[in-house]
Amino acid sequence: MRKHGLPVPVPREVIYRWSRGLGLPISGDTVLFTGGLYQLAPYIEALVRFAASMEKGGVVSGIASRLSSTSIARVLARFLARAEKSRVERFESIVRGIALVLARAGVEYAYSPRVDAYSGSILYDLGLDEAFASHAAKVFKSIKSEGVRRVITIDPHTTLVLKEVYPRYIEGYDLEVVNYMELLGHRIEPFPGSRGEAVIHDPCLYARNLNIIGEPRRLVEASGYTVREPRRSRRMTYCCGGPIESLFPSLAKRVARTRMDELAPLGKTIVVMCPICLVNLSSVAPGGVEVRDLGELLAEAAKH
Amino acid sequence: MQRRQSIDEAFKAIAELLEDGEAQDALLRASEGAQRKVEAIIERFPGLAEMAKQLRSSKIRVLERLEEYVDQAIASIKAVGARAYVARTGAEALDIMGSIVGRGKIVVMSKSMVLEEVGARDFLLEMGNEVWETDLGQLLVSLEGGKPMHPVAPAVHMSRRRAIRVLNEKLGLGLREDCPVEEAVARVRALLREKFTSATHGITGANALAADTGSLVLVENEGNIRLVTGLPPVHIAVVPVDKILPTLRDALYQAIVQSAYAGLYPPTYLTVISGPSSTADIGHERVYGAHGPREMHVILLDNGRLEASRDSTVREQLLCVRCGRCLFECPVWVHTGNNWGGRVYGGPMGLVWTAITESEELAAALSYLCLQCGRCDEACPVDIPLSNLIRGLKSRYYKRL
Repeated sequence: MRKHGLPVPVPREVIYRWSRGLGLPISGDTVLFTGGLYQLAPYIEALVRFAASMEKGGVVSGIASRLSSTSIARVLARFLARAEKSRVERFESIVRGIALVLARAGVEYAYSPRVDAYSGSILYDLGLDEAFASHAAKVFKSIKSEGVRRVITIDPHTTLVLKEVYPRYIEGYDLEVVNYMELLGHRIEPFPGSRGEAVIHDPCLYARNLNIIGEPRRLVEASGYTVREPRRSRRMTYCCGGPIESLFPSLAKRVARTRMDELAPLGKTIVVMCPICLVNLSSVAPGGVEVRDLGELLAEAAKH
Repeated sequence: MQRRQSIDEAFKAIAELLEDGEAQDALLRASEGAQRKVEAIIERFPGLAEMAKQLRSSKIRVLERLEEYVDQAIASIKAVGARAYVARTGAEALDIMGSIVGRGKIVVMSKSMVLEEVGARDFLLEMGNEVWETDLGQLLVSLEGGKPMHPVAPAVHMSRRRAIRVLNEKLGLGLREDCPVEEAVARVRALLREKFTSATHGITGANALAADTGSLVLVENEGNIRLVTGLPPVHIAVVPVDKILPTLRDALYQAIVQSAYAGLYPPTYLTVISGPSSTADIGHERVYGAHGPREMHVILLDNGRLEASRDSTVREQLLCVRCGRCLFECPVWVHTGNNWGGRVYGGPMGLVWTAITESEELAAALSYLCLQCGRCDEACPVDIPLSNLIRGLKSRYYKRL
């Protein structure tokens, strides 16, 4: 993490590879700050397969030691290389889709591959306060060095950390943080016609911590889908299990299944707005049920 | 002193429960049922949320001057003719209890997490007393030798089949495996009825203690608390100091809010006890021990709570009313039960209680299974920022490594 500033040992280009050939301006007042979570998700998925294999070998506890062991990090790197190419492409295309939809809706922004970085949210979640604070300071300094005033975020973890947590750890923090759904909420032309129903799965942080609840519904509808609400929805939405997937995979899977048992009977398309939810719910989706990211629905609707 | 649970034992217990299909079904079903019940109660009785809000502010007042409230409570308990004690640790509480009960007695107990915390049942048994749990769920758990899986519903993980098996094996009730639940309940009632009338001591916890009047408030549905506190000649209550509230009104609020957010509203019984029973009807002479107990003892338990009230990482946990709603709403707890916890307390609120009363190291290690999803924060009637307290445990754990 210290070397690349990423939660998994992969080259930094993983973060910005998606932007190649789009011709986005690289500097400006407002920048798209992806936080890299979508791009990293397929690698995290590979890491979870590794953790699951360790759990089967009888390693359930000793979490702290597992996190710090360097020999394990080397084994881990081999597993990460096995991230499926099709998954990597799909997750990159989600980011590309969101970027293009923003541009088409008339949002002016730049994208600087140098500035885009992982937010450090895992450090915060794990209670590694000092490591988090120093990571956050670096990220903030890098963003500010480009004269940026406002950042656009695209996933719940990066949004929460930049908007609510950084201000508590960084003195003089003055970035305006806005989520892409808040920007698009009223700028998208409704899709002409119906593409069916979509069962909505609110990410915990959007719904409970950031109060981003109305926007995703408007955008799902604007993509041509009718929203179906599960019982546990909005502020009482239910976790996908993702945050503990690498620490206790069998338990994370149980949580994901319990959620899927609630969502799947309501429709064939489940819409999420978080890469972690996308990975976790996809892994337990029964045949015929598809888990899609809102970014994908928006990009498809924009093509018509 | 109770043996502490090791980190490895706790993780092993979680892994085992994940493989127990019957327990998984029971936990999921019970949790979903409780979620719907509480939702319906809050909707039907909109005054409850306001009551919870007022309760929070009176609890914060107590938290700021907890020691003073302990002193006030002691004076008020004495003023109503009961005896008051302060126990710094669980072991001290047991010493006091032991000197009151002695040996060779018959003791009936109501379900109480604080009695579990100090290990009252095992202690009194070892002293050579006959000890009976009178809450059906807690009786099942104690007969099986396990721990309560939920503060309000201790046997929530047990299927009906398993419960009948336990009653047959441990009490020799000879029930058919498919007998109606009514029959099992009636048999336990008959057996315990005898114990209630012959008991020398009744031991309870309390939902709240009013500092101004010295009154205990207890809430229940089974009716066993009324008998435990009413029939034996001596009543002993162990009350953790965080259950002290400024006034009797606040104490009633706490019991009401607790029952509502546990999904049991309106409660069947709400009991207020201010001192031992007495009469002055013959010659204006006050005589203790009319129809209820002649002696009442209140043991105020600290066990880490006073220190916690000065510790910003865990302090807000002392606002907890123990409704257990955060457990039923937690996506992890519904698969792990209280095995995700210490010897006594589990789930979101239970991790922090474990840190306060048992072992911060164990609580912190278990905190890594928290999703940080925040459903517990949303569920808590007194707005304890549980997920943030749990994150605080992790943070402090790392700093000490």
